[in-house]
Amino acid sequence: MAFDPATRRMLLATLAISLAPLLLQLPGTVALAVIATALLMSLAGWRRPLPGAIKLAIAALAVAAVMAAFDFRMGRDTGCALLAAMLAVKPAETRSLRDARSLVGFSLFAPFSTFLLDQGPVSMLLALLSLVAALATLQRLADVESGIEAGALREHLSRVGKLLALGLPLTMAAFWLFPRIGSPLWGVPDRAAARAGLSDSISPGDWLELMADDRTALRVRFFGPPPTRESLYWRGPVLWDFDGRTWSGAAPANATMPIAETAGAGWDYELEAEPSEQRYLTALDFPDSVPDGAIRTPDGNLLARQSLQSVTRWRLRSIPAARFQASLPAFERRRALALPPATNPRARQLAMQWRTQTGGNPVAIVGRAMSMVNAELAYSLAAPPLGRDAVDDFLFVTQTGYCEHFSSSFVFLMRAAGVPARVVTGYAGGYLNPVGDYWIVRNSDAHAWAEVWLAGRGWVRVDPTAAVAPERIFDTLADRQPGRIGSFEGLAGLWNAADWMRRGWNDFVLGFDAQRQSRLLRWLGVQRLDGGSLVALLVLATVLALGWMLWWLSRGERERDPLLRAWHGLSARYRRHGLARAPSEAAGDWAARVGLARPAEKAQLESLATRFGEARYATSDERDALIRDIRRFRPGRDAS
Amino acid sequence: MRLDRRRVYVLPTRFGFFYMALALTMCIGALNYNNNPALLLGLSLIGAGLASLLYAHLQLSGLQVDSIGAEPVPAGQPLQLRIACSVRDARPRAGLRTGLGVESSTLSVPATGGGIVTVPLPTERRGWQDAGRIEISSIRPLGLARAWSWIRPDQPLLVHPTPEAEAPSLPDAALSGTRSRPHFSGEDLHLLRDYQPGDPIRTIAWKPSARHGQLMSRTWEHPHGDEVELDWHALALPHEARISRLARWVEMAEREGRRYALKLPMQPRIGPGSGHDHLHACLRALALMPEAHGH
Repeated sequence: MAFDPATRRMLLATLAISLAPLLLQLPGTVALAVIATALLMSLAGWRRPLPGAIKLAIAALAVAAVMAAFDFRMGRDTGCALLAAMLAVKPAETRSLRDARSLVGFSLFAPFSTFLLDQGPVSMLLALLSLVAALATLQRLADVESGIEAGALREHLSRVGKLLALGLPLTMAAFWLFPRIGSPLWGVPDRAAARAGLSDSISPGDWLELMADDRTALRVRFFGPPPTRESLYWRGPVLWDFDGRTWSGAAPANATMPIAETAGAGWDYELEAEPSEQRYLTALDFPDSVPDGAIRTPDGNLLARQSLQSVTRWRLRSIPAARFQASLPAFERRRALALPPATNPRARQLAMQWRTQTGGNPVAIVGRAMSMVNAELAYSLAAPPLGRDAVDDFLFVTQTGYCEHFSSSFVFLMRAAGVPARVVTGYAGGYLNPVGDYWIVRNSDAHAWAEVWLAGRGWVRVDPTAAVAPERIFDTLADRQPGRIGSFEGLAGLWNAADWMRRGWNDFVLGFDAQRQSRLLRWLGVQRLDGGSLVALLVLATVLALGWMLWWLSRGERERDPLLRAWHGLSARYRRHGLARAPSEAAGDWAARVGLARPAEKAQLESLATRFGEARYATSDERDALIRDIRRFRPGRDAS
Repeated sequence: MRLDRRRVYVLPTRFGFFYMALALTMCIGALNYNNNPALLLGLSLIGAGLASLLYAHLQLSGLQVDSIGAEPVPAGQPLQLRIACSVRDARPRAGLRTGLGVESSTLSVPATGGGIVTVPLPTERRGWQDAGRIEISSIRPLGLARAWSWIRPDQPLLVHPTPEAEAPSLPDAALSGTRSRPHFSGEDLHLLRDYQPGDPIRTIAWKPSARHGQLMSRTWEHPHGDEVELDWHALALPHEARISRLARWVEMAEREGRRYALKLPMQPRIGPGSGHDHLHACLRALALMPEAHGH
């Protein structure tokens, strides 16, 4: 059975609406290619179907193109892109009602797979739109199959609204009460295309994309007073090895576990990490507790046991560290001093000079280096490219750069001067959202600093970048205000509110898991719901929700006219006495019959019958009063 | 007859099963990944699907079937089964598939109104025809579920015998010779009345019909021509052929506006008479003739 062009238009619109949230999550080139393919296939298949061979060839081409775009790596995002490509090819082979229905069905997988990539409220809103569009299209297809004039779009939408509203209690009951599983039965495939983020290596220029990304990476709520801005260092991967350009390599897993002593009161906080597809859990420096589901490396940073693929929440405690790893084993010391041979001669020479001048005093060497950084280097994200001797070029030629250059060159100088040092990456600073009173750390807060090892004090943080551009690092610059466009700040409040709402979404919708579910009835004094009672509750709620649906059903069947309804009710009340009105019996006849059997009610009943007749067959303005009177009238207890 | 919830059945369509599998897949995947937005999407699909089952049910329940009937037709032609329905509630019903076997028509009933649908019912032989169960079904609103109900006509439907195609003229035509053909021109010769289904098409007075805006038939208060006796025993034909010949003659006599009587074995003589009722009485008697022995 074929369908009309208007239905085809609606079908294609549904496909477009369903693809929209998915395309927003795919790389731009892939998204554009999918859109172009979908348009082409819709036009080509508008009048007559494409030959099978051509369709097959186009489908194969689309698959190959998507695979090539992801460098032939299979991942979650590759799968989603393949789905989008297949959906784009589908319009060309949609001829019958059956094809149309399967297209609607498969296009519903587009919003579903969107959620594998992003679970934000915008995706949810777009998914809701595609759900409505899909249901409206299914309605139209059913109308076409039923052989009636398909209704206007508004009619379809209002009916879809009714359907969703009718199903809502069941949906919500199942959402809150269906037992969640604590840990997945099968894992989620990783993404094939890496996102900009912290990684296990940095080389100059790597982070430009990351530092331009204003999206939120962490949201932190402190229980108690927050640390000062100068202490807001979020510890990520620590890098030990330098090959002249790239810093990489963490401490081996069998290295001695660091011991840190606290230099003051700690901070308790909850950290909400946006999905990064990495395992790095950037806790405030220095993390004192290791939460469930995470481990602490010998470098003192936390790693989640699984890569962070969705929003996760961690309860943490950090301390201001003192005497962090007070003794350095020989092999770690060697590693913390290693440099690639025969590179950056000028930097080496300068370091040796400091060493001889200070007599090898590490604190003095650090001081010399910091004063040089302060005096001669400038902060800018627009750093000129560096040559083969990257450290020399930066220190003596370009003298302009950002945290990657500063930390890398600083650690090089330290090592050349004989001070054990390493590069630490993570985030620095944060933005206190006045709406909701929590801290936001964005991807653009990504930072690299240095740690030097001093005898008796252990690893000590030194941040050469902060010496040059503290306002940059500690987020005190006005132009770092999120939501600001140029010098216009009017949207800042909006941005704050939006992020606060996003946090609420993360908290209430995304954060609802097996653990939260077990605490669902805490407000009733039930500390922990076990699986059995959860299932019992679910069954109860489902029965109630289905009951609500059935109530609507019987409501739909009942008499619409309130007068008739009242009148039927009156007759039903006499059924007990064997005097119910026969369907064909006129009101007056029935009243007379009842009057014979129950003389006490004769007069009243006959008056009601007369008034009923008048209200029903003539115009009468006492309708409401009559309905009230009929409803109130009760047969006497016993008339016999 | 009123379709209530005990008479209405609902089952998912094939697409409904596909939809269910799709929604369940989403829910299982979402539960595994603890992906709450995906779970909401899957559950909304399930909720809307279940609601559509109820709506499909509501399409049929509350529908009142007022009458089912058909004008008799000669065997071989389809009976035009007219089903009249009405609803008393405020929900209009549209796109109800009303069908017998492969034949179906679409019934639409406005809110607190009535609707009529005609479904062709093929016939093969004269006599009473059992219409069987007539199915009223709907796949609306989403095409996920089909709600259906069975209705049956209260009375069996009559199928007239097939008139013989090449029948000789009426048996007395050659004998009497006095029969004059009726005049169909001029308007003073006959009376006009409203057309009733079953009137021969030749009796329709087209010009007056056009004037009145409705079909009018000619009738003759005093049928002209003389009586004709149609006697079963006067024919030497096989059983069914005799019935067929007589059916044709009855129709011819009626069309020519003559009075005619029908004599069948083991039955009192019908007529003489003429007119719509007489014609139908004769055809009914012929239709209900027992089968020939030995068949």
